[in-house]
Amino acid sequence: MNRWRLRHLSTRGLLYVGAILLALQAAFPFFWMVSTSFKPPTEVFAQPPSFIPNDPTWDNFHRLFTATGFLTYFRNSLIVSGLAVLLTMVVSAAGAYSLTRYQYLGREKIAGLILCTYMFAPIMVVIPFFILVKKMGIENTHFALVLAFTSFCLPFTLWLMRAFFKTIPLQLEEAALVDGAGRVRAVIHVILPLALPGIIATSIFTFILAWNDYIFTRILITSDELKTLPVGVQDLFHSALIDWGLIMAAGMMITIPALLFFVAVQRYLIRGWGAGAVKG
Amino acid sequence: MTTMRGVSDPGARPVASSGAAPLSGAITVQPGVSRWARWIPTTKPKRREQLAGVLTISPALILILGLTLYPVAYSIWLSLLEKHSFFPQERFVGIENYLYLWKDEEFWTSLWLGVVYSIWTILFQMILGVAAALILNESFVGRGLVRAIVLFPYMVPTIVAVILWKWLLNDMYGVVNYWMVALRIVKDPICWLGADHIMLSTIIMSIWQFFPFVLLSILARLQTIPPELYEAAKVDGASALRRFVHITLPQIRGILFVVILLRSIWMFTKFDTVWLMGEGAGVGRFIRTLPVYAYMRTFTYYQAGLGAALAVIMFAILVVCTVIYFRLFREEADIG
Amino acid sequence: MLRKRKLFGMAILILIPTFFIPMMVFPAEKKVVRVWHTETEPLTIAAFQEIINDFEKLHPDITVKQEGLAWGDLEAKLTAALAAGSPPDAAHGQAVTCASFYAQGLLRDQEDIAEAVGRDNIFKAVKMQCFHDGKYYGVPHSPNVSLLIYRKDIFKQKGLKPPETWDEFIKMAQAMMERDKDGRVTRYGLSLPGTPLFINILVGELTAANGGRLFDLKTGRPTFTEKQVVEVLDFYKKLNDTVLPPGWLSHGYLDTFANLATGKAATLYQGYGRGAGYIEKYAPKGTGNPEHFGVMVKPHGPSGKGTAAQLDAEPWMIFKNAKYPEEAAEFIKFFFKEQEYIKYLHTVPIHLLPTLKSVQKSKAYQANEMYQRWKEWVDMDYFYFEKDLAKPTLIIQWADLKLPFGLEILGSGIVVDMVTDAVRGMPSVQAAAKAQARAEELITKLGYKRW
Repeated sequence: MNRWRLRHLSTRGLLYVGAILLALQAAFPFFWMVSTSFKPPTEVFAQPPSFIPNDPTWDNFHRLFTATGFLTYFRNSLIVSGLAVLLTMVVSAAGAYSLTRYQYLGREKIAGLILCTYMFAPIMVVIPFFILVKKMGIENTHFALVLAFTSFCLPFTLWLMRAFFKTIPLQLEEAALVDGAGRVRAVIHVILPLALPGIIATSIFTFILAWNDYIFTRILITSDELKTLPVGVQDLFHSALIDWGLIMAAGMMITIPALLFFVAVQRYLIRGWGAGAVKG
Repeated sequence: MTTMRGVSDPGARPVASSGAAPLSGAITVQPGVSRWARWIPTTKPKRREQLAGVLTISPALILILGLTLYPVAYSIWLSLLEKHSFFPQERFVGIENYLYLWKDEEFWTSLWLGVVYSIWTILFQMILGVAAALILNESFVGRGLVRAIVLFPYMVPTIVAVILWKWLLNDMYGVVNYWMVALRIVKDPICWLGADHIMLSTIIMSIWQFFPFVLLSILARLQTIPPELYEAAKVDGASALRRFVHITLPQIRGILFVVILLRSIWMFTKFDTVWLMGEGAGVGRFIRTLPVYAYMRTFTYYQAGLGAALAVIMFAILVVCTVIYFRLFREEADIG
Repeated sequence: MLRKRKLFGMAILILIPTFFIPMMVFPAEKKVVRVWHTETEPLTIAAFQEIINDFEKLHPDITVKQEGLAWGDLEAKLTAALAAGSPPDAAHGQAVTCASFYAQGLLRDQEDIAEAVGRDNIFKAVKMQCFHDGKYYGVPHSPNVSLLIYRKDIFKQKGLKPPETWDEFIKMAQAMMERDKDGRVTRYGLSLPGTPLFINILVGELTAANGGRLFDLKTGRPTFTEKQVVEVLDFYKKLNDTVLPPGWLSHGYLDTFANLATGKAATLYQGYGRGAGYIEKYAPKGTGNPEHFGVMVKPHGPSGKGTAAQLDAEPWMIFKNAKYPEEAAEFIKFFFKEQEYIKYLHTVPIHLLPTLKSVQKSKAYQANEMYQRWKEWVDMDYFYFEKDLAKPTLIIQWADLKLPFGLEILGSGIVVDMVTDAVRGMPSVQAAAKAQARAEELITKLGYKRW
């Protein structure tokens, strides 16, 4: 075996080790969560702790769906996060495009200002935000939540998208424009494919940020029917007749759909989506 | 942080990044011409272009300013008052709150704890994130699955993540301690969540929770690096390390710049995770970072003015650090 | 170029109405009464909703919206609501919260509610929760007492006798400990929660049981450096060194129940009725019953003479400036009607005890299986009620409720830090002095210094 092959194999080996470690560190707590959600109460604290439940039960899930408002919360979370992602991505994609492709007075200053507004700790912004929302008369509505999520997602999505857009060479659009395509077509056929991984990544982050928000939902929403998952889970946790199995079941039901979605979507984070365009 | 108005700076840029002549409407200058020549406009940006630019940024601007300007202004105003969080009475005290905090031992402790927490978490989030992105950039069996599962820490709601970790690390019936004792790594269970180790545990937990963000961002960028660059380098006999340093690193610099910036802002103002791990007092005292302290002053001490002052101080620190950061890394901040 | 602008303009025109439509779905022209409480148990929320539904049938023009949330969240939400000038119509509070709000003139008195349920029908201990200037400003939804829960089976097996003093308690707890063959402890003598609220509660209790006080009656000056309070810190130190698990400061309220139920701890000093349900659920088969988990009277300290415990009884507060305070009062009167009240109380039987004597005696209330099974615990609660031996958090005597800074001291963590310092090695006297200085400074800053 020559040196090159040995090197290649050992690199490959290291790669697999790295991948396995990566998967393990994320999966281990996840599987622990899954395992506990199937355990009956008496087994939860059993020593030695068992990875695979000795006496698995669906009871926790049954109670989660029937005795709590979980399904309502799930639906609400989906609606609000989905709308927030839509609004944020459209606005920030346009904004990022503007910040990287157009020239106008104060462009960089605007970017800087947006960044500045971001440096105020969200926890302190909540109360005046609530007052603002109250003045607008939209407290306790999903609309207010979507606005709240947008307000704390937009600055970062703008900056992230701006960074991704900057990596796309300007020559590409120029070439398209020279060929006679309108700017819109240039964007759709040239920029979008190259920006897709960036757009997907940013959408995922926006979704997660909105999906996991706690404090804004807690303060802005009062009605049980409008609550989202994090608030619902937190209440379950504090209900003091706490049910570890129930909480873990809730955790599982929150993450599995999202995980499945990501398995589907991560396909688009592949090389080659935009690489071809550079040659052309 | 900003370049001169209306002028772009193509200058001498590494080949691998973007940046040929900018689109029509801007000024182009060949390298080698006197730098003052840049000030001489040859063409004005077309009005249409400018308008289009402003129009596309305006929804973002309106939303952000509309939704955050009032809250920020309110907080700054509040920091100049002495106000009970529940009751409407307020008293204008000017900078008295700031002077109080200057002399407050708890403030300096929480500043220190906040800095320690931020630096360690940011550092390792970046290292692990970039390393993981490199790994997941290569193709191997099961890559899709690993890519999905690796997002789990970032995806799970903080309360669930904290419950999970508090439980895994529990000194009485946690799995981690159980195995460490069983494998004879330690003699007695370690109080991971006790006063001595809670900062470490919180840092580890935060790294675990947030490095997928770095991973995904870098990975997205890595996917659009033309593979030909690597092919050419391999042909030239460059090792993996050289390929990383000379091709990958320059390509991801732009994203890296933004990611470090974002993660820094977030970790410095991180509230949820730290609060849930410790609740501010009892053991929480040993992870009472600045955001937690600000929260406590507003919602548990009921001194809204002091809480707002702390938020303003956090804000000021971040602004100063960001300005320094931008100065240090002009290239990445500049337009291409 | 133009097309892009058009496209964008169209997009905006489409998006904006999409968001306005949900806004337009407004509730009908009913009076909406908002009630916030701290019972988040799904069963309790469901029962509460049933009561609401019954009420709405009788009052078709009123809608009641409940929200159950944890303490910390309630306070945060109250802050936001008050800042925006729109408090809820009714909310739970702690005794000190109620006192503060009363002092600020924010509460509607509840004399009419007291009349409706029967003034003499309310347990005296509970009455004082929010009773100022001869009037009711808050009727508690349900009282219960912090109990000393212990492993009866081990206690009997070792032939121990109930402790009367703190030192005797430590000896008893030590006797109930167990170690394995390597000398590692497998059962600790005691499990305490290390969370801020519970440390505050216990310090108050222990000070009362030690014949001391936390604040001077006349001037309100903190008295942390007095002998009785220093002895409390010494007790904490001893507990920390002998019978508590080393990581107890990181244990939450529920962890203590887990420890007790699974046999990792022999006693709980801060147990509440809810624990019975927890024990039934998590204790190994066959042991989740009162034969294994009993309650006993708490011991007193070296400088004290009698037992003391904490009273956990959140009063309903009605805000004067809320939108529908009168309707809220109507609802609360309805809530206390025996038939409805029992529905609520039965969701967590041993924990949610009735505020009203008549309900406690009622057969319908007592005909609850769990109640009958764990009657020993309930009897202990009433022992403390009837003898007025239980007080709210940080309150040593009822007059302390007149002190205007209880709320802020509770939230400040000063008392908690005092205990943390002491158990981590600082001499008790020093820890007490440090806390004293901080408390005095806080009270001064709030403008309440009177010494």
